[in-house]
Order: sequence, then structure tokens, then C-alpha cells
Amino acid sequence: MEETVIVAHKIFKAFGEGETEIQALRNVDLDIKRGDFAAIVGPSGSGKTTLLNILCGLDNVSSGEIKVSGRSLQEMSGSELAQFRREHIGLVFQAYNLIPVLTVLENIEYVMLLQHVPAAERKERVHTFLAELGLEGKENRFPAELSGGQQQRVAIARAMVSKPDIILADEPTANLDSETGGQLLEMMRKFNEELKMTFVFSTHDPQIMERAKRLITLTDGRIVSDELK
Amino acid sequence: MLLKLAWRNLWRNRTRTWLSALVIAIGLVAMIFMDTMMVGMNTNMVKNATDSLMGHAQMHALGFRDEQDVKLTINDLDQALLQLEKHPDLKARSLRIVTQSMLSSSGGGEPVLSLGVDPEEEQLLSKFDEAIIEGEYLDSVSGQKLILGWKLAEKLELGLGDRLVLTAADAESGEMVQELFRLSGIFKTGEEKMDASMVLVARKTLQSMLKLEGRIHQIALRYSKLTQDGTPVNPLKKPDDSSKNELLLWTELMPSLYMISQMTDLSMAIMGTILFLIIALGITNTLLMGLYERMFEFGVIKSIGTTPWQAARIMLFEAVCLGFVSIIVGLILALFVTALFANYGIDYTGIEFSGVTFQEKIYPSYKWSRLVLYPFMSLGFTLLASLYPAFKLWKMLPVEALRKRKF
Repeated sequence: MEETVIVAHKIFKAFGEGETEIQALRNVDLDIKRGDFAAIVGPSGSGKTTLLNILCGLDNVSSGEIKVSGRSLQEMSGSELAQFRREHIGLVFQAYNLIPVLTVLENIEYVMLLQHVPAAERKERVHTFLAELGLEGKENRFPAELSGGQQQRVAIARAMVSKPDIILADEPTANLDSETGGQLLEMMRKFNEELKMTFVFSTHDPQIMERAKRLITLTDGRIVSDELK
Repeated sequence: MLLKLAWRNLWRNRTRTWLSALVIAIGLVAMIFMDTMMVGMNTNMVKNATDSLMGHAQMHALGFRDEQDVKLTINDLDQALLQLEKHPDLKARSLRIVTQSMLSSSGGGEPVLSLGVDPEEEQLLSKFDEAIIEGEYLDSVSGQKLILGWKLAEKLELGLGDRLVLTAADAESGEMVQELFRLSGIFKTGEEKMDASMVLVARKTLQSMLKLEGRIHQIALRYSKLTQDGTPVNPLKKPDDSSKNELLLWTELMPSLYMISQMTDLSMAIMGTILFLIIALGITNTLLMGLYERMFEFGVIKSIGTTPWQAARIMLFEAVCLGFVSIIVGLILALFVTALFANYGIDYTGIEFSGVTFQEKIYPSYKWSRLVLYPFMSLGFTLLASLYPAFKLWKMLPVEALRKRKF
């Protein structure tokens, strides 16, 4: 039986109060298993990003319970959550969001430095990912000197290099053309297959939906379907 | 990595960083320059005061300074002189007779302070010999020559060679005694009191006139080794109470002057605090602007595993880097400005302050400890300025920061 990495139980999330209250998530139950390659889909405002933010502990739930790698996120302080994300969760953002003053190498190394990974191991891991993602020779470039696709590959390397339990990606192909998006998706699928790395995407991209092993559909903050392909 | 991140962040907006650094640097330059000015001014004032008459220290019989009683001479003079001779840092001494008296000429009379001195000894203590503008300095420990200030000469309409009569009470009977002198020189020290109401005559003549043979009212002393404050490095031991003599440093003889130098330190500390606080507020504003501009980026940094304290440290490191850049710029500018004025001097000559008239230009002078203190103050206040932005960053929720950017 596959190990469950994320357990979300009766998640409820509301923004605002009284008449201005917006219910972003309503009684969401979700299990993510190790090795999942799942896409959370749904129209804008359906709660995809809110769900991802809650799954990685960036946002709090109004009620319900979240456990990631067996640990309850609600019981952690801000500092503990940051350390937990550093060790267990890799994040990929829509707009790459690399640190502009750090080079490709430094961006990828950043989380490992916070983890105090020894220099030799850092170097080895960085070069492995640079080779896998076709970024060799670009180690010393700054993000502004890279194309969008290259930046997103660096962002993926940054998320994966610390060997997290799960990668959460918020519309990772939204800012890329379909060909580049497709290539990136193939790489992530490869990592999923070969390294058994768990991926959860929020997306509108039909390519992701097509390649996902599992499709979770959100509408008005509720999971209306959860299908394995 | 956090330090590297902070350093590179600092240079993302070069103009803003240089302007901020310049504000801190100018504050530092102002503090260092003002301080060197004050040190130069104090040194100048102390030098003027101790070179003109007072010396670095004086010995008297107890009560003489208050009562100016002609009978109050130094007790056990031989023993006192023996003690002085043993001290290695004593450069010069002048044994003086000091008495209030009346100076009369054909043009009138004026109350004066008469000093009986040995001209050779006195040359090493004060600068009356250099201050002679007409005639000549005294040439013997005895004799009837007299020198006085130019203002007194003007008042009594005196000319060289004029005959003058000094009247004072003698030490034995207290009766008035008189002695005839001849004006041999006129001095101009620049000190109002000395130029208007002081006369110098040969010590032995005055001792004889006042029936004080072998007795002395005052020994003025000059030390060879002084601290930057002008106090002796190795002062003489104070006499026991049983000796009925007192030995006072210039800091005790002229406490107002000493107070000024102490007050200067306090004033500089207050001024520095106010100046750096104002600068710190400007730096806080600059750092906050930088924080708000990079809010989304900090959201990313925090969301990928940077703890609140690590994020706050980035801001503190930025302030430290800014502080160091400012200190380097500030120190270079301060050294240049001070060196410039130390070379040419600032002309305050003739201006009287706290009873001392500046005789020479003021030359800014360093106290090396201040060259460490003020940069540390700059760094401290820059760090203080970064506390609020660092706290904001520490408290900032990554999810709220990530919402600051629209795609």
C-alpha cells in the first residue's frame, strides 16, 4: 500500500468576516500518496491556490486538519513551519520567483545551505540537477539572463534538490509557451517515475491535465471529482 | 549565504544605497570633525592657560589662594624643593612672591598684582619674555627693574625708564612699605587681566621690601610628560595636611577650564546621539522602502524554508553592510577634512572664551579612541535603524507577501 504523504480532513477556509466572508474551501478531504502526480484543476476562484497554500503550511485553515509526512501543520509555529517546508516540501511558483541577486548555482544551493548540507554533497546534487535539467554551463548566470523556461527549470531544481517528500507547483507552466511547458512537464514526470517524487499541481493547463495520473477538480471550494487515470 | 544575499540586495538600487551611505558618512564626518575641533580648542585653551602664568601645577601654603595674605608663605620650603627636585617629569619651576599692591606714577595710581620672580626661572614657566613689545625683560633676580602690561602702561601714561613706586603691606608688621622701580619693559600677553593689572619685578627685591627673605608664596611647576588632556602623566604626590602646603594641578586651579573640556565630551555625546538618531530615522525609512519593494521576494524566500529569524537577519545584515560602507566613506572624508584644517588651522586668535584668550590658531587634533567610537556609534545606530524593518520582516506572513504580486 502506498504511503500517504498528505492527509487533509474537512478543510474549511474562509476569508473576511460577516457579510464580506468568502468561503474559499469547504469541507475538503484529500489524501496524497507517495508517487502521486496529481493535478488540481478548476475555474479561477475555485480555491486551487488556497488549497496548495494550505497544504504547504503557508496559509492557515479556518477549521479541519492537515497532516504532511505525518505531522500536523496547525501545531507548528512560523519558524517550525519554515523548517518543515525546507525539509519536506518543494515549492514551484507560476512566475519562477528565483532570487534575482543570486546566480543559478546559488539559487539552487540556497535551501541546501539553510539545511547545512556539506559543500561537497551540495555541489554534487546541484550538478546532477543542472545536467538533468539541461542547465549545464549556466551556473553563474543570474535569473535575468535566462529565458522563462530556463528560469522555471532552475525553480524546479531549487524545489527538488533538497529531496523533499512532495513538490507543490502552482500553475508552473502558466507563463511558458506550450512547447517549453511540455518539456518541463516531461522532466517532472520523469522525476516522478524514476525518483518516485510526489507532485501536486494547481493548473489550467490541458497538457498537465493530460499527463497527470490523478485529476482533482475543485469547484466553489469543493472537490467535485477525484479521478485516477 | 544570507550575508551574500544582503550585500547584493544592498546594491540593487545603487543610487539609494550611495545616498544613504553618504548621509551616514556625512554624520560621521561632522562628528569626527567637531570632535577634533573641540580637542584642538581644548588643547589650545589649556596650553594658553598653563603657558601664560599658571603652569601645570602650583604649590602654596594652605589658605594663601583664598586670603592672599602676604604672611602665608610655603612652609618648610627646603623640604618642598627637595621633593620637587626628585621628580623625574618636572621640567621647570618658578619660585614667586605674589602680593596685592598699589602702583603709583606721576600719572596716577592703580591696584596691581605684583609678582617677584627670578627672570631665568620664569622664562621656562611663562612667556613674559616673548610678550615684551617695548623695552626689555627683567635681567636679574634682584634690582629695581619692573615690567608691566601695555594696558596698564596706557592707563598710567607710562614710558620706558619712568619711575614707579610700589606700595604694599610687609609681612612682619603689616605696615605699608614702598619701593622705587624703573619701567624697563612693557608686555602684551593677550590676557586682559595680565595686561591691565600685573607687574613683574625681581624676586629678591620684592622679598626684601616685604620682609620675606628666604620665603616664597608660590612655586609654579611645569611637567615634561602630559596626557592629551594636558594633565601630567605622573603628577607629584600631594603634600600631607601636616605640611600645611597644598599642591594643585591646573584642573583645580582653573576648574572652569577643566569643566569645559569635560562638558565638551558630554556635549559631543548628546550632539552625536541626536545627530545619529535623525540619521537612523532616515535609514529606517530607506530600509522600509526596500522591504516594501521586495515584499513578494521576501515572501518567496520565507516560503521556501527561510525562518523568520533568518529573514530578519537578512535585513540586519543589509544594515551592517550599509554601515560598513558608510564608515569607510565617512572615515576617508573625515581624515581628509581634518587633515586639511589641521594643516591650515582655524583662526580664533584674540577671542576670549572662559577667561582664556586664544593666542594661536586652533588646529584640529585626533583622539584616536574617538576614531573607533564614532564609527561604532554609526554602526550601532544603523543597526538600530534596521530593527523595525527586520521586525516587520520577521512578522511578515509569507502568504500575505506572496499576494502582493499579481500575475
